This record gives sequence, structure tokens and C-alpha cells, in this order.
Amino acid sequence: MPKVMGALKKAIPAEIGGEADAAMESSAAAGQAASGRKVLPIVEGVVLVAALLAPLVLQDYLTVFATRVIILALFALSFDLVWGYAGIMSFGQALFFGSAGYGVALLARDLDITNIFLVLPAGTIIGLTFALLLGGFLLLGRHPSSVIFVSLGTLTGSYAADRLARGWYYLGGQNGIPSIAPMTLGGYEFSEGPAFYYFVLGILVVVYLLCRFLVRSQFGLALAGLRENEQRIAFFGYKAQHLKAIIFTIGGAIAGLAGSLYAFHEGFVWPNMVGVVVSTQVVLYVLFGGSGTLIGAVIGTVIIEGVSFWLSDNYRDIWPIILGLLLLLVILFRPLGLISFLLGERERVGSFDAVRKEKRDAAS
Amino acid sequence: MANAFVAAFEILSFGAIIVLIVLGLGIIASMMGIFNFAQGEFVLLGAYITYLAYAKGLPVWAGMVAAPFVVGALGFVLEALIIRRFYAAPIVAMLGTYALGLIIREAVRGLIGGFYLTVPEPIGGSIDIGTIHISAWRFTIIVITLLVMAGCYLLLSRTSFGLRMRATLENPSLARASGISTPLMYGATFAFGSALAGLAGALIVPVFSLYADLGLRFLIQGFVAVMVGGVGSFIGPVAGAGVIGTLSAALPWVMAPVVADVLVFVLAIVFIKFRPQGLIAGKGV
Repeated sequence: MPKVMGALKKAIPAEIGGEADAAMESSAAAGQAASGRKVLPIVEGVVLVAALLAPLVLQDYLTVFATRVIILALFALSFDLVWGYAGIMSFGQALFFGSAGYGVALLARDLDITNIFLVLPAGTIIGLTFALLLGGFLLLGRHPSSVIFVSLGTLTGSYAADRLARGWYYLGGQNGIPSIAPMTLGGYEFSEGPAFYYFVLGILVVVYLLCRFLVRSQFGLALAGLRENEQRIAFFGYKAQHLKAIIFTIGGAIAGLAGSLYAFHEGFVWPNMVGVVVSTQVVLYVLFGGSGTLIGAVIGTVIIEGVSFWLSDNYRDIWPIILGLLLLLVILFRPLGLISFLLGERERVGSFDAVRKEKRDAAS
Repeated sequence: MANAFVAAFEILSFGAIIVLIVLGLGIIASMMGIFNFAQGEFVLLGAYITYLAYAKGLPVWAGMVAAPFVVGALGFVLEALIIRRFYAAPIVAMLGTYALGLIIREAVRGLIGGFYLTVPEPIGGSIDIGTIHISAWRFTIIVITLLVMAGCYLLLSRTSFGLRMRATLENPSLARASGISTPLMYGATFAFGSALAGLAGALIVPVFSLYADLGLRFLIQGFVAVMVGGVGSFIGPVAGAGVIGTLSAALPWVMAPVVADVLVFVLAIVFIKFRPQGLIAGKGV
């Protein structure tokens, strides 16, 4: 009976509404912060350990699948940075992912360049350049662009790229570019398997840490402000449009890195990779896991890809319907994604002056 | 001369199809401020209902008549259950309607499989003018589009329903204070927009045949058309649709289709960037 009462007590504020819910969560999180317990590092640690151990327990073909998931998680990270932190709805993130994939595929096909120190930076730069051009065009200018314009502009860009890739013979048309040579490091060839997995995981961890540093910096604070209230940030004297363009470009660079890894891992690129399908897929990952937390993007990718892989044998036809329903439920009832079951609002937003606060606490 | 006439007819008929599809999208975007990503799927549903009627042995036109009503009713229900929660946040509305569209699209895909199903034209054959032959059905689509456009315009500008609809758009709180039930108006507007999509789907299915990604094909073109035309009025999106439809159909005649395809989108985005209010700014109908 007391158990039931406890559950009821928990359920009631959640029923009342989002505000009470958030307040309850933030107070819970505050309590945790005071006692020095934070959920986020624990979640991150668990995910990292699981990722490190995965190839040891998984069969070979599953390791190959896990590698793909890690690469997609990297891609999801790029979208999360742009949408979750800066509030720019980039419905065309696949444009940077796919164009980098096509770029490195062409390098490998036409110029025989597969050296890892050339192709990965090349892919990153391709993603960065496209993001700089598109983002610069859409975001900068005398009048600030509306959110709708930016999201539809990126969507249209991605769609147009898809059509271009389908119709351009040099890019392989509908079939894309098949059988790309593997990446090389000196004499070593990266083929699918544990080595590739750990290599990609290493990249993900490094990029994750860089992003974490970025969003916890003063720059990240300005971004969070942008997301919450752009006008106020502009009144504070920040160049809101420039901040947006910068983070958009960084996101594009990460997407480019992910795209070039993806191209070499799969061994082929095809028009869908730049198009609307992949663009919306990455939106699903991030929304599902929880936008505005880096780990949420990773978790969302793992869950969606994992379940989709698991169900693909028996329930291939109804899985997209289930996915749509789940997504709708998450948007309606858990706008902060699955991660919000674990993470309080306060910890999600994060503390940006942790050092100063500790000093103050010590002084008093 | 004959060739030029055929080309002009092709361009006109494609333009009419885009206008037909954009009508519903434009009304929902202008009157409610929601970019409905599920609109393509409403088009798909209209097409599917027509196919269903045909497969059950009913005449095709019966399905075409039923489609707007069924899809409109579905739109009304969906608005009350789901869309209603999204009014405050346009981006969330996009994502929510996208999820909705995903559900509908995949459900239809499950029902029809990965096939291209054909539905015959209710008015077959061709109209002959001298040596020139034009498809009778495509001509009918143009006529129906003109009628629907005129009908919508009259509904919005001349009836008290249209007046209340526009009042709700312009100033919801004043509309409420004046005794207009704004939730009902939003529901009716969404249902109306959905019904137009259903009608569009029903009319175009003989031309494009039925497949699961039918709606998706026109969705982005539709959005671009709405933005080019300008959100906030009825005329704006229609004008935008005319421009986009005409360009997409006309450019492939003068350059490589691949380039034309992409060029339309690039031109449209550049245009919107430098004229965010669209072709036709301002209020009015």
C-alpha cells in the first residue's frame, strides 16, 4: 500500500502539467547536485563502458552493425549541436553528411586517395564548406531569417542535392558510387570489424568531448540563450546570426566527418545519403533520445537503430508505423526525449560557472 | 506551333496540379501558421480512397467525390486530438505532423505494398483541336482547379464562415471576445485544408498512379510554393504555386532536366531570402 501511495504522489505532479513536472525534476536534480551526485556523468560512463565492451560480446556481423550505429551517432551529435543547443532546425543535415560521403568516394574512385589522413580531413572540410555556404546564406543577412525559413531552406537544399545526385551521371545516378576502396593507414587497410569499430568509437569519444567542452563554455552559454530567447541575446549585444552560422558550420563539419566514415564503412554511397530520408532520420534519433543533451543524441541513435535492426526480420513492415507512433508520443508528452526520464531539467541545461560557484561555496 | 501548344498545355496542367495540392497546404499555413508535413500524406490518402473505390468495383468518380469528405473528416479528428497541441510552437508542429505523416504513409505502404497501382481516368480519351490532341482528363483537372480556386476565394471573401475564419487568423483573442469559437474555426480550417488535399490526391491519381511516396513527391514543392507566394493570405500560396508549377514544368523544355529540377529550388530559396514576405505580401483574402 505505501508503495502505491508513493507512485501516486509521483504521478500526480506529472499529471498536473509540464511546469510542475519540470519544477519537481529540477528540485530533484538540485538535491542531487547538492549531494554531489550527478546523473549525466553516470549515464555517459555507462554508455561508454557498454560501447567499449560491445565487440567482445557481439558476433562479427553485429560488430559491423554496431560500427554503423556509432557513425550514425556521430552524425546525430552534429544535428543535436545545431538543433538542441542553438535552436536551428536543420532539416537538411544529410546534405553535409552525404556530400562528404560523395566527396571521399570520388577521391577514392578517381584519384585513388584513401589515406586516412587525407580523406577524413577532406570529408570534414567538404561538410564544413557546404555548411558554411548554406548556413551563411540562410542565416546571415540584414534581416534575421525566420525559423521556418531556415528549416525549409535546409530541407529544400537537401532535397535538391538528392535530385542532383540522382540525375548526375558523374555521381553514378540512382545507383550511387559502389565498391569504394577501403581507407588505408600506411599499408594497413581498414575493413569492417572490431578494429574499425574501435577507431570509430575513438573518433566519437574525441568529438563528443570537444562538443561537451564547447557547449559548457561561454560560447555554449550564449547558444543556450539563443535557443531560449534569441531576441534577448541579440539585445545583450551578441551577434546572434554569427553565433548561429558558426555552430551550423561546426555541425556541418562533424556531419562531414561522419559521412566520410560512413562512405568507407559501407563501401558505397547512394543518393538517399544526401536526401530527405537521412535528414529526417537524424531528426528522429535526436528527438527520441533527447535534444539538448549530447548523450541523448547517442542514446536515441542506438535505440532506434537497435530496435529497427532487431525488428527488421519479423516486423519490417510495421516498424516505421511504430516508430512514427512512438515519435508522436515523445513529441506530445516528452518533448525533451527519453533522456528526460533520467535527467533533471537543471542538469540538462547545465551549470556554466561551476568553478566560480565552488570557490564561493568554499569562501562562505 | 502545334508543339508549342502542347508544351503550353503540359505546363499549364502541371501548374494546375501544383496549385491544387498547394491550396490546402496554403490555407493551413496561412490561416493557422502551421506547416503541415502530413499534407502530402493527406494527398496520398485521397489517392488511396479513390483506388479503393475503383478496386471494389465502384466507378472512379464515386471515389473522387468521397475522398475529400473522408480525408476532411480525418483532418478534423486529427486536429482535435493532436494538432491542437502544437499551435504555440511552429517547429514542434512540423515535427509532430511529420510523425503523423510517417504513420499514415507507412500504413498505406503496408496496405498497398511497394507497387505502383494504376487507376483509370474517369474521363478518358483526348480532346482534338485540329491536329493537336490533349488529354481530356488533364484538361478536366485544369477546369476543376479553376473552379476550386474560385470556390475557395468566394468562401473566404464572401461568406460569414470565411469572415470568421479570417478573423480568427488575424486576431484570435478579439475573435474569441466577439463570440467566435476559435477552436471550432481551427478545426474547420484544418479539415477544409485536409479535404482539399484529399481532392487533389483523388484527381491526380490517374495521372501519377498510386504509390506510397506520392505525397512526399509534392510536399517540398508545395512548401517552397507557399513560401514564395507568401504566408498569410489565400492568394499568396496560390500565386506561388502557379509560379513554381509553371517553372518546374517549363524549365525542362529549355535545359537539361536535372539542372532545371535543382535550379527551381535554388531560385525559389534565393527569392525567399531577399523577399521573405513573398510575392504577395499583406493581408486581404
